[in-house]
Amino acid sequence: MNLKEQTLDTLRGLLDTKKISAPELCGEYIKRIKEINPEVLGYITVTEDEAMKSAEQAQKLIDSGEAKPLTGIPLAIKDNICTDGIKTTCASKMLEDFVPPYDACVIEKLKAEGYVILGKTSMDEFAMGGSTQTSTFAKTKNPYDLTRVPGGSSGGSAAVVSAGIAPAALGSDTGGSIRQPSSFCGVTGIKPTYGRVSRYGLIAFASSLDQIGPIANSARDCGTLLNVIAGKDSRDATSSTKPAEDFNAKIGQSIEGMKIALPKEFYSDSTDDEVKTSVLAAAKKYEEMGAQLVDCSISSLKYAVAAYYLVSSAEAASNLSRFDGIKYGLRGEGRTFDEMIRDSRTRGFGDEVKRRILLGNYALSSGYYDAYYLKALALKQQIIKEYDEVFQKADIILTPTAPTVAYKIGEQETDPVKMYLADICTVTVNIASLPAISTTCGYSANNMPIGMSLIGRKFDEATLIQAADAFEAGFEKRPNNI
Amino acid sequence: MDIKTIEHLCNLSKLNYTDEGKQKVMAEMSEIINLMDTVKEFDVVYDDTKDNNSISYAEVREDKAKPSFPTEKLLSNTKPSDNCYVVPKMVD
Repeated sequence: MNLKEQTLDTLRGLLDTKKISAPELCGEYIKRIKEINPEVLGYITVTEDEAMKSAEQAQKLIDSGEAKPLTGIPLAIKDNICTDGIKTTCASKMLEDFVPPYDACVIEKLKAEGYVILGKTSMDEFAMGGSTQTSTFAKTKNPYDLTRVPGGSSGGSAAVVSAGIAPAALGSDTGGSIRQPSSFCGVTGIKPTYGRVSRYGLIAFASSLDQIGPIANSARDCGTLLNVIAGKDSRDATSSTKPAEDFNAKIGQSIEGMKIALPKEFYSDSTDDEVKTSVLAAAKKYEEMGAQLVDCSISSLKYAVAAYYLVSSAEAASNLSRFDGIKYGLRGEGRTFDEMIRDSRTRGFGDEVKRRILLGNYALSSGYYDAYYLKALALKQQIIKEYDEVFQKADIILTPTAPTVAYKIGEQETDPVKMYLADICTVTVNIASLPAISTTCGYSANNMPIGMSLIGRKFDEATLIQAADAFEAGFEKRPNNI
Repeated sequence: MDIKTIEHLCNLSKLNYTDEGKQKVMAEMSEIINLMDTVKEFDVVYDDTKDNNSISYAEVREDKAKPSFPTEKLLSNTKPSDNCYVVPKMVD
């Protein structure tokens, strides 16, 4: 069976018509994971026994006519989402042996559907990075070119979907961590509106920005997954009470008359020409479909990277203070309580995580708080205001997902400032709590995927999925050679 | 960014660096702070009355006791002694 670019709809059809059983389908994926993962390094943990067990249970549901949209569907889960009884490492030495005693809310919801867990995917350590090269356990490679990064931080999730070793996956997005790797690996990923999906059981990085979301082979598949994981959860006070809806309900509806804004700052000299050309060609396609293109400006974009790193690092410094080696995590040594905690953290965290903690504590410390942290919050308010203004004259916004295509491993991920600046196209969406979807809109001269992002109004994921699907329907994807 | 500031930040962050490590991270943090300094060009003051981050108390969950996670599961992530977390002596 060819597992590359399989959609969830196709797999559902195969399972429901008994052309394949859930254990057979699971077995096909496990077999391919064993062949491909040693090259791609997308998984940190492969849960073969757990997968086969849940596939057999799923088959019983299918046989009794009780199948739900994800019953028997194999999925991969980012390794910062807690899974009861399955190691959840955050790709960090700190949590190398951590086995959560409970499931994240999204995992409970997937289990209620009868999904099949294939394994836990690699990521940048504690989701801090854009290359998946800060992972302690699996420095994932890009399936389109194994000498290039898959993006990050959900690089493992994007790579396993792209390589056909999972039909879809869950990632998390704090500043672009679903969208940018989706762009680099030629798949589709959606960062839902802040509050759309419960963060209960997601190991916290920056709580005001983190959001779990799907990565898949199509916008429709992202909608299918989002239909399951969205919704209010009393254990996450920031989850929204907005009623559940069918995020795929608008697929197939005409986009004639839809207003699509193109903020000029996203198309500046800092974005590669071939990226700009592909995204603007996609805009032209939308115009041909009857959409109206609208010029606009997000003038505060030039300050957005700094504002994002100040806010996210301040929150990270606070969130990561829980890692002291006492109740769980790497236990250091020391004669005193303080020595033991310092040794645990020094040995447990990698360089980038330490830099973010230092930056966060710098921004929050006496004498710097007003100049940095409060200024970043002022910028957050300005960015929200500017997006509100754009959405008064447009329905969605179209931008590149990243200024470049996937770069060579070792080329820039050792330069923190260069890495931070590369997040320019994605961070404002998290700052403004908006939903955004990235899908492939072209290929570079060296055949690397180019992603475009559609940004929507709060809680309007359905329109993003409608517009992304409309584009995907007329776009010919180039598969990778994995 | 000077060595004194780095040492202060290491204390706040509960992190140890060797002398060589301190020099390296000081250089990296200097470049990062230069990037962060761009926010200072932005001439707007934070207005906390405009923030929309409040959580309605009507939406928070009921304050009701629920069973704990199983103790053996919680303790499986550490090296307990007599069902207790072990820490270095804090008071002589």
